[in-house]
This record gives sequence, C-alpha cells and structure tokens, in this order.
Amino acid sequence: MKDSLTLLSRLSAHPDSRCWFLAWNPTGTLLASCGGDRTIRIWGKEGDSWVCKSVLGEGHQRTVRKVAWSPCGNYLASASFDATTCIWKKKQTQFECVTTLEGHENEVKSVSWAPSGNLLATCSRDKSVWVWEVDEEDEYECVSVLNSHTQDVKHVVWHPNQELLASASYDDTVKLYREEEDDWVCTATLEGHESTVWSLAFDKSGEQLATCSDDNTVRIWRQYKLGNEQGVVCSGSDPSWKCICILSGFHTRTIYDVSWSHLTGSLATACGDDAIRVFEEDTCSDPQQPSFSMTAHMSRAHSQDVNCVVWHPKEEGLLASCSDDGEIAFWQYQRLE
Amino acid sequence: MAAEENGVWGLVEVFVSGLQDGKAAELATGTQVKAGNCTVLQVVEALGSYLANSEPRTRGRGVQLLSQVLLQCYPRLTQKEVEVLVLFYENRLKDHHLITPHVLQGLKALSMCETLPQGLAVSILKAIFQEVHVQSLMQVDRHIVYTIITNFMRTREEELKSLAADFTFGFIQVMDGEKDPRNLLVAFQIVRDIIVKSYSLGPFVEELFEVTSCYFPIDFTPPPNDPHGITREDLIVSLRAVLASTPSFAEFLLPLLIEKMDSDVQSAKVDSLQTLNASCAIYGQKELKEFLSSLWSSIRREVFQTASERIETEGLSALHTLCQSLSRSVVGSDGEDLLDSFLNCVLQDCKHHLCEPDMKLVWPSAKLLQAAAGASYRSCYKITTSILPLLLEQYNQHTQSSQRRTIVEMLLGFLKLQGKWIHEEEDENALTGFKDCLCTVMYSALTDPNVQLQLVGIKALTALGSLQGLLSTSDMELVVDHLYRLIVEKDAQNHLAAMEASGSLARMYPSAFASRLVPKLSEKLQTDQMEPSQSSLRQRCLRALSAVSTHPCIVRETVPLLLRYLQHVQKGSILCAEGMISVCQSLHLLAMQCQQDTESLWYYHQTVIPCLLALAVQAALQETQTQAESPVLLDESVLTAMVPVISAACSHLSPELVTPSVSQVVGLFLHGDVSFLPENSFPRRFQPFQGGESEEKQRQLVALLMAFVCPLQRNVEIPELDYLLLELLTLSTSSRCPFAYTSASKCFAGLVNKCPAGEQLDEVLCSVMERIESGLVDGFDRTRVLTLLLWVTKALVLRYHPLNTQLTDKLISLLTDWELGPAAADGFFLLVSDTPDVLNKACHADVRIMFRQRFFTENVPKLVQSFHAADEDKKPNYLKALSHVLNSLPKQVLMPELPSLLSLLLEALSCPDRVVQLSTLTCLEPLLLDASQILSLHMDTLVMKLLSLTCSPAMAVRIAALQCVHALTRLPLHVLLPYKMQVIRALAKPLDDKKRLVRKEAVTARGEWFLLGSPGS
Amino acid sequence: MVGGNQLENANPLIYQRSGDRQVTAQDEDEDIPDKIDDREIFDLIRSINDPEHPLSLEELNVVEQVRVKVNDDESTVAVEFTPTIPHCSMATLIGLSIKVKLLRSLPERFKVDVHITPGTHASEHAVNKQLADKERVAAALENSHLLEVVNQCLSARS
Repeated sequence: MKDSLTLLSRLSAHPDSRCWFLAWNPTGTLLASCGGDRTIRIWGKEGDSWVCKSVLGEGHQRTVRKVAWSPCGNYLASASFDATTCIWKKKQTQFECVTTLEGHENEVKSVSWAPSGNLLATCSRDKSVWVWEVDEEDEYECVSVLNSHTQDVKHVVWHPNQELLASASYDDTVKLYREEEDDWVCTATLEGHESTVWSLAFDKSGEQLATCSDDNTVRIWRQYKLGNEQGVVCSGSDPSWKCICILSGFHTRTIYDVSWSHLTGSLATACGDDAIRVFEEDTCSDPQQPSFSMTAHMSRAHSQDVNCVVWHPKEEGLLASCSDDGEIAFWQYQRLE
Repeated sequence: MAAEENGVWGLVEVFVSGLQDGKAAELATGTQVKAGNCTVLQVVEALGSYLANSEPRTRGRGVQLLSQVLLQCYPRLTQKEVEVLVLFYENRLKDHHLITPHVLQGLKALSMCETLPQGLAVSILKAIFQEVHVQSLMQVDRHIVYTIITNFMRTREEELKSLAADFTFGFIQVMDGEKDPRNLLVAFQIVRDIIVKSYSLGPFVEELFEVTSCYFPIDFTPPPNDPHGITREDLIVSLRAVLASTPSFAEFLLPLLIEKMDSDVQSAKVDSLQTLNASCAIYGQKELKEFLSSLWSSIRREVFQTASERIETEGLSALHTLCQSLSRSVVGSDGEDLLDSFLNCVLQDCKHHLCEPDMKLVWPSAKLLQAAAGASYRSCYKITTSILPLLLEQYNQHTQSSQRRTIVEMLLGFLKLQGKWIHEEEDENALTGFKDCLCTVMYSALTDPNVQLQLVGIKALTALGSLQGLLSTSDMELVVDHLYRLIVEKDAQNHLAAMEASGSLARMYPSAFASRLVPKLSEKLQTDQMEPSQSSLRQRCLRALSAVSTHPCIVRETVPLLLRYLQHVQKGSILCAEGMISVCQSLHLLAMQCQQDTESLWYYHQTVIPCLLALAVQAALQETQTQAESPVLLDESVLTAMVPVISAACSHLSPELVTPSVSQVVGLFLHGDVSFLPENSFPRRFQPFQGGESEEKQRQLVALLMAFVCPLQRNVEIPELDYLLLELLTLSTSSRCPFAYTSASKCFAGLVNKCPAGEQLDEVLCSVMERIESGLVDGFDRTRVLTLLLWVTKALVLRYHPLNTQLTDKLISLLTDWELGPAAADGFFLLVSDTPDVLNKACHADVRIMFRQRFFTENVPKLVQSFHAADEDKKPNYLKALSHVLNSLPKQVLMPELPSLLSLLLEALSCPDRVVQLSTLTCLEPLLLDASQILSLHMDTLVMKLLSLTCSPAMAVRIAALQCVHALTRLPLHVLLPYKMQVIRALAKPLDDKKRLVRKEAVTARGEWFLLGSPGS
Repeated sequence: MVGGNQLENANPLIYQRSGDRQVTAQDEDEDIPDKIDDREIFDLIRSINDPEHPLSLEELNVVEQVRVKVNDDESTVAVEFTPTIPHCSMATLIGLSIKVKLLRSLPERFKVDVHITPGTHASEHAVNKQLADKERVAAALENSHLLEVVNQCLSARS
C-alpha cells in the first residue's frame, strides 16, 4: 500500500500564506490555486515541471477561498472572504476580471458552474446559496436565493450531468436543489453527519455522492428514484438520497475535501491530520451496501493540514493537493492489482 | 562727554523723551547714583517737571525711570529718602492707570529696603488694597503685587499681623479671579504662609477657602513648549499644601472632597484621595466626626469598584491616615470613642465579604481592613481580634487549595501588621487567644500538596514566629520539624523558602534550631552520603545548614559540622570534587550571612581558615605515585570553590583582628611556617615558592594565598610585601601549571592595585615591565607572560595608573601576534569585566568610577584604526577585542559613537567567531532600542544577518539574535513593514528550536512582528 | 462580539500569577533538547489579557496549567479554558485569542485544539465548534475590528 501514492513534485504556491483550493481546467492543461495571500495563481506544465503562468492579484481584498472553471474552460470564477465573486475571462495567456458578483452579506465560501455553463452557484457564511444565470453577453443575474440552511454554507457543487445543485453546511447537513417553475427549491436534506460538512463530490454517474466532515468520516449517499426496486421511500416525485456507507476510523481530524475520480472511481480525501488517503470500492461489494477499502495513505503528505485534493480530469491517477503550508503537491496514484 | 556734563539732568531728558535707548539711560542713571555722583532725591528733582507733566504717558516715563533706578539702588536708600518715596508712590497709585505698573515696580523696590520705617509696609499694602484692582492688571504686574506682599511677609511679619484680618481680606481680594499658573503658584504660597504663620483669618475663613478651593481639582494642562516649565503636578502640590494646611478648612474641604471623589475623571479621584490623605493627617476627631460615614462610603466605593491600581492605593492610604488621626485623639469625656465606632462600620461592611463562598470581594475587603489595622495598635487589636476567628473558620470551610491560599495570604497580611505594634505596647497581644488555631491552619497549609499554598503557609508561619513571645518552645519544635520536612522531603519544591524561613526564625529561636534542625540535617547528610542519587538532597542539607546559621550560637554548631564533613568527604573520596564544592558553597553562603556580625565572622575566620589551609597543605604534601592519584582537594574546581570561602572570611574583618593571621598565612607561604595549623605534622616542608617545578601541587595553593591577601582592607599591612611580590612574579612566569601561574598573576595584580603610589610601587612595576618585555621574546614563556600582562594591565587600568596606557598598547600590538593574537583579544574581556575573586569592590580594590569609559575613549580609536590596517586573517582579533570593550559600556556612552562604529559592528555579525557574534549582538540590542534612526538605514543587512544567526549552532547566539530581531520592532513602522512577512516566516523555524530558552525568545519576537501595523497594537 | 461599557462580571475573583519558570541547568545545556511541555504552553497563554478586565487570563483563572495538554512527539496541543461566568459573551473572543496566540507561537507542525472546560459555559458546544473551524478563524482575523481586539489581548501590557 505504501508505494501506491508517489510524489511527483511539490511547489511553494502561496508563500507566507495558506493554499486553500485547487481546480483543474476541463482539459487538464491548467491548474488554478487560491489562498490566504488574496491571489489566484494559474499553473501550467513546462517539460516535467509546473510553473506559474499568471498571478491574478488585483481582484479580491481578502482571502480567496475557492476557484472554479467554467465547462468551456474560458472562464474562472473565484469566491472570496471579501463577500464577492469574481469572474475572470481567459485571453490567450492572461486573465481579466470581467464581472464582480456582489450580494452576499459576508464571506463567499464556494462557487460552482453547472455543466451547461449557463448557471453558477455561490454560497456564504450568510447561510444562503445563490443561483446566477449567465447570458451571451457575460451578464450575470441572480435567479434565486436559497435560505434552506440554518448556518454557514461551506461548499456547493453541481451534479455532473443534471441541473441539480448540492450544498454542504456548518449545520451538519447537505441539501439538494433543483429548478421548479422559475424558482429553485430544496428537494432533499441529507442528515447524518455529526458536525460541519466541509465538502462533497458526485461520482461520474451522479448516482452517488460522497461527503466529508468535521466528524472525521466520509459518507457515501445513493440516489433512489421514485418506485425504486429497493423500496426506499420517496417524498413526492423527487428521488430520495440514502447513506449507504460510512468510512470511519480512517481519519483522525477534520476531513476538508473529497474528490471522486470520474476516470477510475477512486475516492481521495484531504485531511487535517496532514494526510491524503485514497479509497476504492471493493470489487465484489453490493452496490446498495458497498464496502470501501483504503488503498493509499500518505501520512505526511504535507507539513500542515491538507485543504484540498483533486483528480486530474484526463490523466488517470494524477492527483493534486494543497495545504496550509502554502504548497501544492502532485501525486501519482497506482491502483493495486 | 555730553552726558557727563549734563549729568543726571541730561540722562533724564534723554530717557523721558524716549528718543534713545531707554535701557542705557536707566543703567547710566543707576550707575551715577550707585557711584555716589548724585542722590535719588536729585533724580527726583531732575524728574520734577516730568512727574508733574499733564500728559500721563510722560508722567509714566518719569515714574518708570525712577522705579528702575530704585530697583538698582534700593539698598543705598536712607530712611528719610524711603519715607519721601513711599509717600510719593502711594500718591501715584491714585494716578492714571497707565502709570500704575511703574508705580508697582517702585513699590517693589521699596519693599526690599531694609531701611523702610516701621508702619510704612502696612501703609503701602493698605494703599494697594484700596487703590489697585489687581486682577485688571497684566500678568507681570499682578506678579509684582504678589512679590511685594511676599517681601513684606518675609520681613515685616509682626507689622502685617497688626492689620489683623484686614490683611487676609485684602489679599483675598487681590487674588480673587487669578488665572495665570505662574501667579497662582505664588498666591498659593502666600495663602499657605498666612495660615501656617498664624495670620489672623478673622471671619474670612470660608472666603479664603473659597478663593483657593475654586481651583480644585486642578485641571491645568501646560501648553506644548511651555517656557515656564510649570507642571500640573506643581499646581496640584501647591494647592494641596494650602487646602490641607489647617483644620479650620475641614468643614468646607471634606464635603468638597467627598463630592469630587465621585467624579468621572480619574485624576480628580486621585487628587481628592491624596488631598484627603494630606488633610486627615492634621485633623482630629472634632473635624472628622461629622463626615466619617460619608468618607467611609466614598473610600469603600472607590476601592471596591475601581479597576485602577492607583486609585486603590490612594484610597487605602487615605483610610490608613484617617484611622491614624482617629487613633490619636483621646476618647472624649462623653465616652464616645470615634475610632471604635468607625472601625465598627468598616468591619460591618467588609467582614461579610470575607465569608462569601464565591470570595468575590475578598481582596478589596481585606486590603481595606489591613489599611485600617495598620494605623495604630488600637485599630490593629480591634480588627485582628474580630477578623482572625472569621478567617480561621473560613479556612476550614473552604476545601480548594486555591481558596485556602487566598485565606492564608490574608492571614499573612494581618500577621505582618501585628509585628508593627507588638514591640511598642506591652499589654495584651491580640493573637494570644488564636495562637493554637493559627498554628493548626499553618501546619495544614504546610502539609497541603499544593505548592503555592505551602509557600504562603511558610511565609505566614515565619511572620507568626517573628512575633515576640507568642510561640512556645514546644510550638517552635513543631515548626522546626515542619521546616525540616519541607527541606528534605522528596521533590521538595519549597525547600528554598523553608530554608529562608529557618534563617529568619533561627535569629529569634536559636536554641530550637541548634538543638533540633542542625542535628537532623547533619544526620541526614551522614546517612545518605553513599547514595550518588541523593546528591540533590545532600546539597539541600548543606545549603540549609548555611541558611539556618543566622545566630552566633548556631554558627558555632554548623561551622565545625561542615568542616568535619569536608574532611570526611576528602577521606572518602567517593563523592569527589562535586561533594567538596557543595560544602565550600555552603561555607561561603554561611560566611556571607556572618559578615554583618563580627562575633560570628571572627569565629568563622579563626576556625575555617586554618582548617582549610591544613587540609590543602596536607593534600599538597601527600606522596602519590602518579598524577592521576592527586587528591580531589587539589582539583582546580575545588580550589576555586575554596577561594570565596576564604575571601569572605577576610574582607570584612578590621585590621586589628586580622593582622595576626595575615602574618601567619604569609609566613606559611613564604617560610613554610605551619605552626598555626590544627594538624601540622606533614611528611615534608611546605614551600610553594621554592619547591621548583617538581612541586606544582604546592604551587597551586597560591590561589588560597590570593583568596586571603587580596580581599584585605587597604589599611591592613602585609608583612614582607616586597619579598612576596617578587616570589609571585617569579612563580607567574615559571610555573607550568596554568592554574598556578594564573593565580600567582592575579595575586600579584591584586596586591599591586592596592600599593600606594611611590618608589616601592615604581620599582615593582619596573621589574614587571622588564619581565614582560623579555618574556614575550622568549618562545616558552609567552602564554604565561601574556597572562601576567593582562592581570597587571587590569590592576593599573582600574586605578588610572599612568603606566596603564603603555601596557594596553602592548596588548593591542599583540593582537597581530600569530600565536597570542586570539588570546590577547579574549583578554580584553578580562580588562573591562568584573572579576569575581580579585580586583573588585568587594575586595576593596582601587576601582575608579568610569574606568570603562576612559578605557573606551583612549583605546577604541586605536583599535578601529588598527582594524582597518590589519590583514584579513587578523581582523577577527580586533573585532573580538572591540566587541568586548563596547559590550561593557553603558549604552548612553556608546550612542554618540555609533555612527562611526556601525559598519564595523555589522561586519562583526558576519565574523564566524561565536564569541564575536554574541558580544556584537549583545551590544547591538540596546542600540536598536535607542538609535533607530541610524540603524534603519541598514535594514537589509541587519535583517539578513540577524535572521541567519537565529539558526546558529550556538544557543547563546540564537537567543541574542532573536532578542535583536525583537528589538528591531522599535524601529519606525514604515521601515519594518517591507520585512514583516519575511521575518515572520523566518521566525517559524526557531519556534521549533530544540532549546526552550531559544523558543521563548522566538515567541516574543514573532509575536511583536505579528502586531506590527496590525490594528489594536 | 464585544459588549457595551458595562462589565459583565464586575468583580471577578483574582488569582495570583505564577512566577517565571525557573531556568534549570538542563535548559542551559546546548546539547539536551527540551521537549515542549505543558508549562511552556501555559506560559504562552497565561499572560494573555482579558478583553474586559485589566487582568491576565491566569489572574482570572480562565487558564490553568492543569488544563493544558501537549504532546511534543505527536505535535498536538489541547487547551481548555474556563470563562469567569457561564454566560460570558467574551468566551469566543477569549478562545480566539488563545488560539491565535498558540498559532503564532508554536511550530507549524502542531495541531492546536482550544475548548471550553466542560460544563462551564452555557454555549459550550457552539463556542467549541466555532473555535475549531479554521475557516471561520481565518475570516475573523481578516476582520479588522476583531483583529484589533485580539491583538490588544495579545499585546504586552505596559
């Protein structure tokens, strides 16, 4: 198991600060990072090494908490503690801030593009999730403000192929939303975690959702449509989500991020105990009650908390991670035979 | 010429017409009068027409000239002249207001005349009071009025008093409405004198109070760049002196103070409390009676509610004085005891707080009670007898150690107060009835596992024991047993406190300690000595034996005991050097305690010195086969530990007492006369100076000779001094043992430093110089000669002997020496630092104040110059020498030199030598605090070098570098901000240093850097 | 977070300050590594100023050495603090000050947990959760008002 995760390279990305989050562009040629130094950095590969292609330093007054690429790869959205979200447009190698989305009362914690590229979601400590619509002229309009959570919303992410939005919160729950007659509504609340849910990730099909939490566990949830064979009860016409597996006993501190590879199905976690772990679903396990095994454990992956892990969209087993120590690391995961 | 011809007439005309420089005319006229060329009356005559001129301005010029002349020559005026002038001036007061200031000048001059006839002072004052509306005058002119009054009060007191209350009333009108701080200071002084010198106030007491108290509390803030230098504090003090000057003001002042104490302004509260304090000191029951309950509630409120330590202190102090005043008064005929009823109030309001389970107001209450109790025997008795049972009961009700600690701390406070009175009053001791309960509480505290509780318990027990005649012999035996346990028990955390307590109590109960503690410690010392693991216990016993030796009769027990133990250890040879050193340290501590008590010290001297010398000589003469078998006692570390033991026994004895033993000791070393040693049958003769190289062991004992002769007072005569010096000189350059030759050099230097200037000294120095010159050429002796050179140079530098320059130059030239350079550089440390065993103040050495500054001024330019001229490989020697010298100086001296030295200091930071690094850092640190301007020009270099030194392999360098990084934060913010992130980043590493002391500095420095430019810092 | 002018607990019980740590021979020895121990951590936090009294957390018994646990080898520190009264609105601020002080003063390898002493505060769970959320702590320190108060708590009293 020891050799299943190999360090490829490591670089100081946000010196004197922490690196909060990473995002690959859709083709996997660029990696965006953001951090406590209020900047966003764009990294590209030259030969064998990763180099900084540009620094987006002017957009935000405070920590940049998360970044997200549009599905076309031409836009980058950034969420900041300064209560704004910036939209950056890529022009050759440079980026230009084209719009600043204002409206949240305080720190914006996450941002995510819908697969169509026409919708954008943001969430904030003000407990709300906002859905924005984008038109051809790069104009953004808020179409809904969702106040379902009772606390701080930590993360938002879209379903890989539907217009279904998921959010994770300090109130220990996950909520799912979809559009209904010109407005957005909350269709499901996933309860089970015993503390803050920090992040979540859909699998390739969107049938399953992994969530990670301050309760040191990862939970796997599965969607059950109306009239499913297993007899899981649904309220109304919306599918119901049920926790089908809990990964507990592996992590010793808060799990800050989870990434579900759409190429291999491997699940990676970023943990406050400085470690990166990879899990695989056991080959012969029951899809309704799957079991997972830890196939890699890099205990001192970083010198401080690992904040984010993200699988490369095109290259199997390539994983990027970042940490409070300000560094980014690239790893190659070798599947066990 | 013209002026002289025209005489006074001409001058007068020139002045009055105002065409020319008036000052010159004034002076010239004054000079004429003083020279006797004309009289004042002639001047008046000359002025005649002007003084009567119809134009006020012209009349004014005339009067002005006359007044200026008078100011110059008032001492020459005759009584007759004065009379005329007074009449004239009094009349002029009625004249035009433009003239008044000049008139006042003249009256001021007259007020200083000794010849002023009886009655005229009163007449002048009456005229002023009647004719002048003082407060409509300019500040300067008002000041003149105050001066006239002050002058008269100084010289015509009786006469003024004949005016009775009119004078007081007149003055009240004069100062009413005064606004200028300069004048107020004078006016307050006048009012104070009126009161203190018992001028009649008549019916005007309240008016006088009003006219001054309207300024209370003073809220004057001097303007920036105020040229008069009057501070708010000056006014406060001066007004307070007035307000608190008489009991007659009490009925007005006390309500005012009660009102102002309630002010929101902190300074007003403080001022009110201080004024209350000052006035209570002169008030009696009569003045206070009516206001007692309001005063108490104000003081109580302030102490209970304040967050300010200042207000609390002032409040307590006022209460203390108040109780003192009440205590002074005799109980009235109606039997009303105000003190008693006042204390009842205090007790009633404070007592219950001591019993609240949450203990919230315990401390303010206890402080109030203690302030009151500290006022007099009576208050102390009443409060103590009322509070003690309560506290004793509370102790038992609370079970937590921290709460019990608070109670014992309060008890301690009351016990300490008790000590103030018990000696004065023979009657009843307030504590007698509680003695047993108190002891029980103390013993409980002493056996509590909580270290803090134990500690206050020890302190309180000491206070209890210090009260005369309270504890019985059997009580004391129990106390001794507890202290013994605290000293020897395993993991004893309070053993030092227990020893200190033993020392204090042993003064009063010597027999209990001599008969009980000393034998027990001795026994413990014997039983556990074979256990190497018990070394800390052994050291504790030894230390306790010295700590308890605070009484001559105990000293007579402990000294022989320690000496026997030393002999025992030497024979045993199991414990080797460490054990002997512990005994020596204990003996040294004991000697330090004896130094105030001649009887003990003399006993110590007579007992310890012969014994130690006998042991040493015995060891030195013992036949051994090999060097390895050399007795432990001759170990350098043991001999070094003996030095302070002997020194302490010699430095404080008078010449009469010490002279016989000086002859004995010098005789021992020069002639081998061992007759005075207690055990003196040795296999061979003791001859440390003649023995030659085969007797290095004997030569080492020169250190003990040094310990004996160097600390003697300067008027103790040393027999055969010339011979002794010669032998020391020879030994210092011939011995092969560094310890022996260094000791000889030190002993020589110590003696030379005290030799009176004269032929004898010149001869001795001459032979040293020769020896040094020739020795430096010779290849074998060089290191020894350098040692001698260093010590002799130090001896002469200290006493400003003219030869010191020559010797220092020699030393500087040695810095380029291929062999001795580094050692010579280190030697500069010796020259400027204090040495513990010789050539210091305690040894009565001739040490001139500011010798370091002088050394700096004379030698640093030479060193800097030579540094620049030196080869690269020799530069570190100069840097080291320089950094030693710079380091020894107060920073005020260094500051002006800094610009010229800075580049050198920065270079020194890169010097690989750790000693240079360390002393440069130590030198830089205070400069960073004070010379920020110059240093901020070198930030890049400084930050880089300092940060790199925070990772030095030497712990002391890391610490010093971090302290400098911390000190950097005092530089101007704009200079620092560009480096903030870099420094914070770099300091993350020393936070994880393996040494705690380094981490501590890193934490402090990093914390400060975080705060730079951050809100709230 | 900062209350009005009225002190919530006007007359707190005041505890004595412990003296400076005695420097031992081992501390002076270059070659012996000194582990970070409970007392060292306690020394870092005991002099933090209370946000509303002119007193240190030690004097108010808000922090005590027995409530500090450090494991140098595992790089963990756990501190419990005890608000002076169960409804103290300053609890979060005090906890934040302790946390920030430790973050600034300890090697980065350390995991720092700051909690309220169990059973001593009405909102114990909520305060603990906030203090444990590093994202909220980071955001709080970018708020200049809060940072100002925290810095005042951490400044050396003159």
